[in-house]
Amino acid sequence: MQVLFRRRRVEEDLSAELEAFESMLVDRYLKQDLSLEEARRKARLELEGLEQIKEQVRDVRMATTLQSLSQDIRFAARTLFRSPGFTAVAILTLALGIGVNTAIFSVVYAILLRPLPYDHPKQLALIWSKLEKTALSRAPASGPIWSEIVHRNNLLSDVAGIWIGNGTFTGDANPEQVKLAFVTPNFPGLLGFRPELGRIFVPAEESFGGRWAIMLSHGVWQRRYGGDPAIIGKTVSISGGSATVVGILPPDFRLYFSDNVPAEVGAMVPFGDDLSKRPADLYFLRLLARLKPGVTAEQAQADLNQVAGQIRSQYTELNAENLSFDLAPLQRDAVREVRPALIALFSGAGFVLLICCLNVANLLLARASSRGREIAVRSALGASRSRILRQVLLEGLVLCTVAGAAGVLLGWAGVHALMSIRPDYLAHMPEVGINWPVLAFVAGLSFASVLLCALAPSIESSKTDINITLREAGRTSQPSLRRGMRAVLIVGEITLGLVLLIGAGLMIRTLQNIQAVQPGFEAQHLLTFEIDLSTYRRQARINFVQEWESKLASLPGVASVGAVSHLPLDDYPNWYSPYRPQGMTPTQASGLLADHRASTPGYLQAMGAKLLEGRFFDAQDRAAGRQVVLVDDLLANSAWPGQSAIGKQIEVEHVTNQGFVPLWSEVVGVVEHIRNHSLSKKVRGEIYIPYEQSPREHLSFAVRARLDPLALAGTIRAELLRRDHNMALSKVRPMTAYVQRATAPVRFIAVLAGAFAGLALLLAAIGIYGVVSYSVSRRMHEMGVRMALGATSSEILRLVMREAMGLASVGILLGTAAAFFVSRTLRTLIYGISAIDPATYSLAIVVVAAAAFLGCWRPAAQAAAANPVDALRSE
Amino acid sequence: MAEPSEILQGTLDMLVLRTLQLGPMHGLGVSDRIKQITRGVFFVKPGSLFPALYRLEQNGWIQGHWGESENNRKAKYYTLTPSGRAQLTREKRKWNKAFSAVNRLLEAES
Repeated sequence: MQVLFRRRRVEEDLSAELEAFESMLVDRYLKQDLSLEEARRKARLELEGLEQIKEQVRDVRMATTLQSLSQDIRFAARTLFRSPGFTAVAILTLALGIGVNTAIFSVVYAILLRPLPYDHPKQLALIWSKLEKTALSRAPASGPIWSEIVHRNNLLSDVAGIWIGNGTFTGDANPEQVKLAFVTPNFPGLLGFRPELGRIFVPAEESFGGRWAIMLSHGVWQRRYGGDPAIIGKTVSISGGSATVVGILPPDFRLYFSDNVPAEVGAMVPFGDDLSKRPADLYFLRLLARLKPGVTAEQAQADLNQVAGQIRSQYTELNAENLSFDLAPLQRDAVREVRPALIALFSGAGFVLLICCLNVANLLLARASSRGREIAVRSALGASRSRILRQVLLEGLVLCTVAGAAGVLLGWAGVHALMSIRPDYLAHMPEVGINWPVLAFVAGLSFASVLLCALAPSIESSKTDINITLREAGRTSQPSLRRGMRAVLIVGEITLGLVLLIGAGLMIRTLQNIQAVQPGFEAQHLLTFEIDLSTYRRQARINFVQEWESKLASLPGVASVGAVSHLPLDDYPNWYSPYRPQGMTPTQASGLLADHRASTPGYLQAMGAKLLEGRFFDAQDRAAGRQVVLVDDLLANSAWPGQSAIGKQIEVEHVTNQGFVPLWSEVVGVVEHIRNHSLSKKVRGEIYIPYEQSPREHLSFAVRARLDPLALAGTIRAELLRRDHNMALSKVRPMTAYVQRATAPVRFIAVLAGAFAGLALLLAAIGIYGVVSYSVSRRMHEMGVRMALGATSSEILRLVMREAMGLASVGILLGTAAAFFVSRTLRTLIYGISAIDPATYSLAIVVVAAAAFLGCWRPAAQAAAANPVDALRSE
Repeated sequence: MAEPSEILQGTLDMLVLRTLQLGPMHGLGVSDRIKQITRGVFFVKPGSLFPALYRLEQNGWIQGHWGESENNRKAKYYTLTPSGRAQLTREKRKWNKAFSAVNRLLEAES
């Protein structure tokens, strides 16, 4: 704006000047006794065209502007090069801060900000069922609920359902078990992705009982079928049946649903039956809706509330649950759990950058006062104020460009380091990287941080007067530390450093607490793997498991063997059902839910579970035996408080040939609670049913090894193939892998927060060192006078230390107050300690104080050791 | 007398600065004075003069301001700034060096 205005003024000036020139020429020729006409003609001739001259002037102006700009940039670069120490430290410090932020922002962008890679992702939302009686707020839907919503809603363009199960590709020497997404046929169309090959499902795929249609994942297609395009229309063998390949999922296809839905599936198949005919209270289906264009989430929610009312009036069992729906935008819902952690880490990175900026601000401050004289001389020589200002800005720009570029490199390295921590639980992790939005962020950040750094010197320099600077040859009297920007720098660094350290301390304590948790089993020396038994009928399944377990037990190096329907800390969809303890009416027991597990007799011992009362399962608990169960202490204590659970009857859901049926069973033992879902929470009570009395299709084996558990894997795989070449071993991994996966989120946060805090502490100590030593060096003269007047060196030491540590204590006070406030927001992330844990706070305060002390000790000691004569002569 | 010749650009800048050392002057004055001092050897056309004046002003070596001319016409006067004076000294030194070098060369050949 100002530039345009100035340009117009210059143009007007030029016209006026040329006119004046012309009229002066005319005057001159008139004096030579020419006629007015003749004089004008001659003058114009001499001017050779006004417009041409104007154009030439414009060219010159443009050229000199560009020239002086490039001159200034070169000059800026030269000035920076002339003090390589300053430049290197400033660039390194800024690059560090920018690098940390680049790395974190690339994660934040990929997870929180990047739109999901689906068609119009903002229209996608999950529909959760709220079951009031069972006290579940994020439950899946049943088949009938899905078809009712599809038919009754007004504001959704479509609703689809998905359920994740297992499937085994067979038909060659290398059977492979994969996650299988069972979907309603409209699911791919609703997400709106384009298949890499072939087609998506058509509604006709709903015609039940026919052959399966299947869409293979890109990975399975490449791995098992060599990427053969002729696969479309061919039949593949899967889980004992066969399916026709209709399409290939795109290579980057992922599911962003969180809550135990894996990001990658091996294949997608339509449900093989009419979902609306399934029981109305069998909740398994994850519902995904697409809102009609222009419909808000609130409007859709109101529509669903009305649909829920209609459904309740039609289904008594759903009315009893007081069913309602909760519409949650997909993206927000998918990142619900990681968002607080990422925001906390992002803020932490921001704090680190602020400390970096404070350090660089101090450097600039020091440099500005030593350059005061140079600038004064230049302005006395006629350099315009704007030119000098431009010079300072350009130096900043050169600094921020180099620091930004270095920061991106550091950030890139940082992203790789983050990947090596492998936070597998972040479904978006493969998309994390340095991309355009991240680069734009870095550019903005670099620019902002240089501006921030330059703020301190510009405030300081606005106070100085050129004349005084020149006269005193730059020897302005230095204020003590307590006044001016330097005090702000010290206090700021300590405050930020302390907040970070306390945050990191809380997260590290949380990690320790999580790692110290007794999960109810012994993870060491335990090998686990899954076998999909869906191809076997009930009795064949039971026989296979019996023989297979005794074979495993006979292998060398195996201590004990067992199998269970659902391993603890696994992401396989949970089996939880209602139960009723003896002595309660159905109404009293309504809403009681427990995790159900079908386990073979050896399982709990092999896992190292602790028996509190009664007995484990044994060889008598077979298919034809008495219905018996084990429960955990959580359930036993809540069902029969103060009594022994042994011998009590409990109504428990069994898997029979007729589906899930509640049967009365006798409690024969109580085991210590096993943390099935999270190391930090006891979610609900547990009921163990003998496998043969409830033989589920999916079985995980646990083999306790005498030595390295993974060394057994090869033998076991070969043994299984010998037994049945259509069976696949999958998820072969030590139990410790599950425990590590469960601690991964906390470890991710703790490691990063710890790194940030360490960095912050180091930077703050360096910063304080820089501020104090600079201030001491400028005040040598004053120290000399003091010494000459009789101050001892220990008094000088105390003087400097008192000033610096006084500021540090202000910072500690502010930091503690800020941490009080900030750690509240961490409450959802920490475990086993309070957000204002006194031990963590005190330790952090001591560490920060020590760092501050170390930072100012050396310069203070230098001041004290100075020779008064030298000190007086200094400057 | 030979035709007045056009001046090389670098030389022109120096001559303008030198002329303004005598005191503030407007465009026509500068052009007249150059012609006068060089006894008509150099003649500055407006097409070279104005770009030069604007270039010098942008470099901060001269500064323009509006005033009244001898016959009561509005005219833009130019003054040499301190950094212009410094620049003139530099240019002079450069010129003298070049001039004496060329002279030595010519004398050696004759």
